[in-house]
Amino acid sequence: MTAKAQSPDPLFPRSSPGSLIAAALLVGNSVLMLYPIVIMVFSAFKTTGEIFDAPFSIPDFTYVANFTRIWGETSLPGYFINSVIITGSSLALILLLGTMGAYALARYDFPGNSAIFMFFLAGLMLPLKLAVIPLFLQMRDFGLLDTRFGLILIYTAMGLPSTIFIMTGFLRTLPTELEEAARIDGASEPRIMLSIMLPLSVPPMVISAIQNAVPTWNDFFFPLVFIQTDARKTLPQGLSVFMGEYTTDWGMLFAGLTIAALPLTIIYIVMSRQFIRGMTAGAVK
Amino acid sequence: MRLDKRAGLSPERCFNRPGLMKTDYRSRERRRRAAWIAFLIVPPMAMMLTFVVWPLLVALSSAFYRWEGMAQGEFVGLQNFSDVLFGDHFAALTWRAFRHNLFVFFALFVVQNTAGFLLAWFIYREPFGFRFHRIAIFMPVILSTVLVGFLWKLFLDPNFGLINQLLEMIGLGGLRQPWLGQETTALPALVMANAWHWVGFPALVYLAGMQRIPREILEAAKLDGCSGWQMLTRVVWPLVAPSTTITLTLLFIGAFNWFELPYIMAGLDGSPYGSTDVLGLYFYRTAFGNQSGGLQDFGHGNALAVLMFMFIAVVATLITQYLRRREIAL
Amino acid sequence: MLAGVLTRSILRRALGKLALTAFAAATVLAAPVQAEDLTLWSWRQEDKAAYAKFIEAFRKKHPDINVKFEAFEAANYPTVLSTALAGGTGPDIVQVRAYGTLGVGKPDYLVPLDKTMVPEFENFPASAVAAETMRSDGKLYAVPFASQTMLIIYNKDLFEKAGVTPPATWDELVAVSKTLKEKGITPFGNGTATSWQNETIVGALLSSQIGKQFEQDVLAGKADFTDPRFVGALAKLNELKEYFAPNFSGVDYAASQQFFAAGRAAMFAGGSFELANFLRQNPKLKLGMFASPVAKAGDERLVALYYDGGYAINAASKKKDAALKFLRFLGTPEFGTAFSNDLQNISPIKGVKFENPLLKEVAALNEQAMSYIMLVNFRYQEPTGSVLLQSGVQKMLAGKATPAEVGAEVTKGIGTYYAPFKK
Repeated sequence: MTAKAQSPDPLFPRSSPGSLIAAALLVGNSVLMLYPIVIMVFSAFKTTGEIFDAPFSIPDFTYVANFTRIWGETSLPGYFINSVIITGSSLALILLLGTMGAYALARYDFPGNSAIFMFFLAGLMLPLKLAVIPLFLQMRDFGLLDTRFGLILIYTAMGLPSTIFIMTGFLRTLPTELEEAARIDGASEPRIMLSIMLPLSVPPMVISAIQNAVPTWNDFFFPLVFIQTDARKTLPQGLSVFMGEYTTDWGMLFAGLTIAALPLTIIYIVMSRQFIRGMTAGAVK
Repeated sequence: MRLDKRAGLSPERCFNRPGLMKTDYRSRERRRRAAWIAFLIVPPMAMMLTFVVWPLLVALSSAFYRWEGMAQGEFVGLQNFSDVLFGDHFAALTWRAFRHNLFVFFALFVVQNTAGFLLAWFIYREPFGFRFHRIAIFMPVILSTVLVGFLWKLFLDPNFGLINQLLEMIGLGGLRQPWLGQETTALPALVMANAWHWVGFPALVYLAGMQRIPREILEAAKLDGCSGWQMLTRVVWPLVAPSTTITLTLLFIGAFNWFELPYIMAGLDGSPYGSTDVLGLYFYRTAFGNQSGGLQDFGHGNALAVLMFMFIAVVATLITQYLRRREIAL
Repeated sequence: MLAGVLTRSILRRALGKLALTAFAAATVLAAPVQAEDLTLWSWRQEDKAAYAKFIEAFRKKHPDINVKFEAFEAANYPTVLSTALAGGTGPDIVQVRAYGTLGVGKPDYLVPLDKTMVPEFENFPASAVAAETMRSDGKLYAVPFASQTMLIIYNKDLFEKAGVTPPATWDELVAVSKTLKEKGITPFGNGTATSWQNETIVGALLSSQIGKQFEQDVLAGKADFTDPRFVGALAKLNELKEYFAPNFSGVDYAASQQFFAAGRAAMFAGGSFELANFLRQNPKLKLGMFASPVAKAGDERLVALYYDGGYAINAASKKKDAALKFLRFLGTPEFGTAFSNDLQNISPIKGVKFENPLLKEVAALNEQAMSYIMLVNFRYQEPTGSVLLQSGVQKMLAGKATPAEVGAEVTKGIGTYYAPFKK
């Protein structure tokens, strides 16, 4: 299948020394990238003693005591569910509000349009982490401290700039003819948006979703500051609690890390193209 | 993106200018239209104002007050700022952390961005298996920093960690180090873990940049007898200048906001004896207190945050502007 | 306010009794109706099971009150707690630290206590009560729960195997370490990668050499940390580091515990709170302990002691009277005994009976103690004496600073706010 993609007269023939060196270096790099992950997974199937004595050996994959213990005696499953709830809700809100804003900015000319667009664009650069203290006091006043909803609102606000950037860019490219025809037919503005424009906008929505899903799912800082109750902790935050509880049981530690890494890794392997596009969106024109 | 061409034919028609709505100019319709636009744009703006802009403004203003823990005291003007920059025990820590951030930035520029650029070129040449390598290089990027930090902390354990065991196995036992325990290797070890985590990002940004270079240019260079290396340095490097702009700016922002990885791997005090202390840790420690004592000081914490923000904003803007000009010049 | 709390509490109790009588038949079968739920926050995640037992004992007397124990990672606890308190939320009962600001920043967040509200304060030694008094207003805020002792724990089997006995003097300690190392046993499990471990190492190993008199002189403004008694002790520590865990500078707290618990190391310089940790990780360990060795025979032999913290009532709690009842329970010898024996911790309550021989030993060592100097005296302002000492000792043991430099650095840092050092 790879041969087919080669143009008839490749710039860099695969047998050329340069390409061979490139291939070798890439193999080395990929080993460097993947081997630690492989070791992590292997170690999850070992006892602590085995990890110390034979760190590189291939384990007996039927030894799943670490996983059953995590399932049975730790709070990791609960953290996992919290992360799903928080990331899912944030994404839904980001896409809803982001698409609304982008649609207004891209399809209507109104006073202040470009100023508002610049306002959102500036949001791309603002490091909200540094405003965590006032944000904290504000969440306290809203009664949103130590709630999942509070985190969802923060992630939504943080995700809006990039989403509006991506969605506006896309929506501006849609032709006006469709819209005008619908308008002549007497369709209302909301109707035009929902049944004509948005069905065309699924690909950039996927990009926006991925771009926000990964950092939201992985975020550690905001839960660290805002969430206190164990039952509401997210996976990265819970992972640090878990690592503290089982410090000396390396088998459990690696199993915990493996479980935490699993969901995104699997989705990534299935959808790597969209992931790469999504996460580099904005950095790639 | 498949609609690019059609839109390109009539860019001026991308917006619905009033002229397009000749048929209906009644004010009722206009009001309804304005309400619709407001309905669309107000909620996202309200979110941004409430949860991003407002806290940042408050951070700015509260840095001018004295704080006792989390309770605001009296107005003290620039006192907090001068304390963290020049004051007794603050200043030394501030500047030490700043130097470490600078080191992190330059070190990551080499091991993360430059390596990413080279790897992008290797993938761009489409050698055998390049599709697999493209997926592999990006794999760590999707993992959380907490996970990466713990993983490498376990690997770097001086007695049972993978790295030292590996050195032993290949006969380099003499190179075994307490990586995270000594001043000379702790920060570099964190930088390497960070590079492992993120190298895929600049690599794929550069790759996308390279793929936008018209093929004819490289073919012409090849006909002129350019070697692969010459092509890379003389043709490709200038042409991917926009990618450099973006990766360098993001790297700069990331390096000066660095927090999670050192927090997990070196602890809030930047162990050993502050040799991995960076501004992010120092800010957090000042504001929220560390484990031994737990004294909180929002005033100085906020002052640090404001200074960091201003520094990052100003330098990032300068970098972007300089690199943009470079893009055009090249 | 006090009167109000008491009146309400009496009323509530009377009402509670009424209700209990009225619903006696129903409550025999069902769980107590209308139980009041109190929450208790702690940084001791590992104590969860024990607290379930304590709470059960409490509920035998107060079936109308239920207490929910919630624990947080120790490293995050200060942030978690003060953010909650500042937010007007948090638990009804707060486990707070001792000394300085009790780890909560301001007095307003807690309910001040006294002997009329909690008569059980009579059960505590004066030093324990002083430890829970806030520096800024001199009021008492918490019922103390444990004293911790810095000492040296050793593995009896390994000592026997190597044919050594617990040393009394520093020279003997060095000799014992040397013998152990020659026999292939790591003498000390300790590592220095985790900052705060450096302070515990100083307290556990050097107290007898630093001495009570030095502490008094510092507090009287007659000496600072460049004093030869302090610097000299650090210099001795520097000689001992070759007997720490291999690659000790990269060995963090968890790994050092593991060295000892797994029987790889013979000694551990640390807190009495480690006894329970070690036994949980390895129930087969036979543990012994001794106080820091003296410089020369005949000197006073000391352990370093501090109070870990106490239980306070959140000023924002809506169930203060119920919380007060629980606090009073936490001050009884009955609780102290259960606490000590279940958690292998020393309760400072007078009249506690230690079943555990190890705790008896610790209690005996506590008879001759100095305070854990930085935590007790210099943790109320930044840079705290603890932070200065921790990074100084970490640096010294890494070979990057001399003992005299550490002493000077510590003195200079504390001197930014401690008047006697400002010269």
